[in-house]
Amino acid sequence: MTQAPPSDDECDRLLGRVRMGDRDALGSLFSTEAGRLIAIARRILRRRELAEEAVQDAFVSAWRAAPSFDASRGRARAWLTRIVRNRALNMLRDDARLDLMRDDELQSFQERGGGATAAYTALGEGNALRACLDQLEPQRRQSILLAYVLGYSHGEIAATLNTPIGTVKAWIRRGVIALQECLS
Amino acid sequence: MSEHEDRLARAGEFVLGLLDAEARAAAERDLQTDAEFRDAVDRFRRHLSEIDATADADAVPTGMWPEIARRIAAMPQDARSDRPMAVTPANQNSPAWRRAGLAASLLAGLGLGYLAGGWQAGVREPVVLVVLQTAANEPGAVFEAFADNSVRVVPLEDFAVPDGKILQVWTLYDPAVGPVSLGTMTRSEIVTLASAAFPRPSADQLYEITLEPAPGSPTGKPTGPILVKGFAKRPPR
Repeated sequence: MTQAPPSDDECDRLLGRVRMGDRDALGSLFSTEAGRLIAIARRILRRRELAEEAVQDAFVSAWRAAPSFDASRGRARAWLTRIVRNRALNMLRDDARLDLMRDDELQSFQERGGGATAAYTALGEGNALRACLDQLEPQRRQSILLAYVLGYSHGEIAATLNTPIGTVKAWIRRGVIALQECLS
Repeated sequence: MSEHEDRLARAGEFVLGLLDAEARAAAERDLQTDAEFRDAVDRFRRHLSEIDATADADAVPTGMWPEIARRIAAMPQDARSDRPMAVTPANQNSPAWRRAGLAASLLAGLGLGYLAGGWQAGVREPVVLVVLQTAANEPGAVFEAFADNSVRVVPLEDFAVPDGKILQVWTLYDPAVGPVSLGTMTRSEIVTLASAAFPRPSADQLYEITLEPAPGSPTGKPTGPILVKGFAKRPPR
């Protein structure tokens, strides 16, 4: 990364201006956040053009919804990221998924699983989330990362890990409980 | 599994995007009413968002912001509101609403058959269909929603609209955005509501009709009783 990411405070300040109807402030948020948001959406949607569409829709939604942003429930950057993630997941749940699956050039589920692991190792050794993920059994950790980073369904995780779906569901339920208890 | 663990498990699955449409809708209702569940969701989201922060920024196409600026140029912002969609004290725990998802699935077949002729004759096809149900779990309306978010509303019940009131049509395409208005109707009749600049309708998207003060909800969010609600289905191609 060539440019230091702007601070959470700066994002909060800009969204505060968007809430008051300032379109230029949304443009400033776009210029600092869009690249990272496209990358997050592309982890889920794989295709660049779909990821860009998700981010574009998300910024339009953010414009409309900014007045109801509740600062007591989280930071502006996380809120924006959530809108992008929700939009990308909705596009996946849509039948767009079928089109995605037909493309021969796309990596297999197994190969993409490496991307989820990379996102986790990028957290760094001293990170609390990393430390708690490290305490999980590897298959539970991998299931949670596949769901969050790549937007996989239970069935896709089962296919990736070559495991019955019921086992995957149990791993994830136990895994998210242990993870939240470790983080609290 | 204790109640506490069950809450953590549901919060976790919700944040991971693993709940099915019905469980997701129930979780979204619980976010408004169960402070412990909401705190668990917020906390888990906050922790997991550190993974998002590890993404290296992609290149941003130069045309993207001008396109967003064009789309929002004449778009008003939603009115500030703390009132969530689909939650009023009268209905939030009603078993009828909880059953509605299942019944809507069963009724989707009826809706498809009912509307099939219309597609063949029409110039365009809906992206999704919605069978909306009353609190008594009866089919109350059928929607055809098109790619541009115009909606053809076919009431199956004659909703009473008292003086000074109006029927308002809503959808929830993103819980983070909250419910958005698709338009109003002065009485129970077949109408097509004009297009709106929202994302293309998706399967499982929530739609509802509420009774609001004329000429429409003063807050920009649903305030009145829910007459019917239902989840979108994609017709098979």
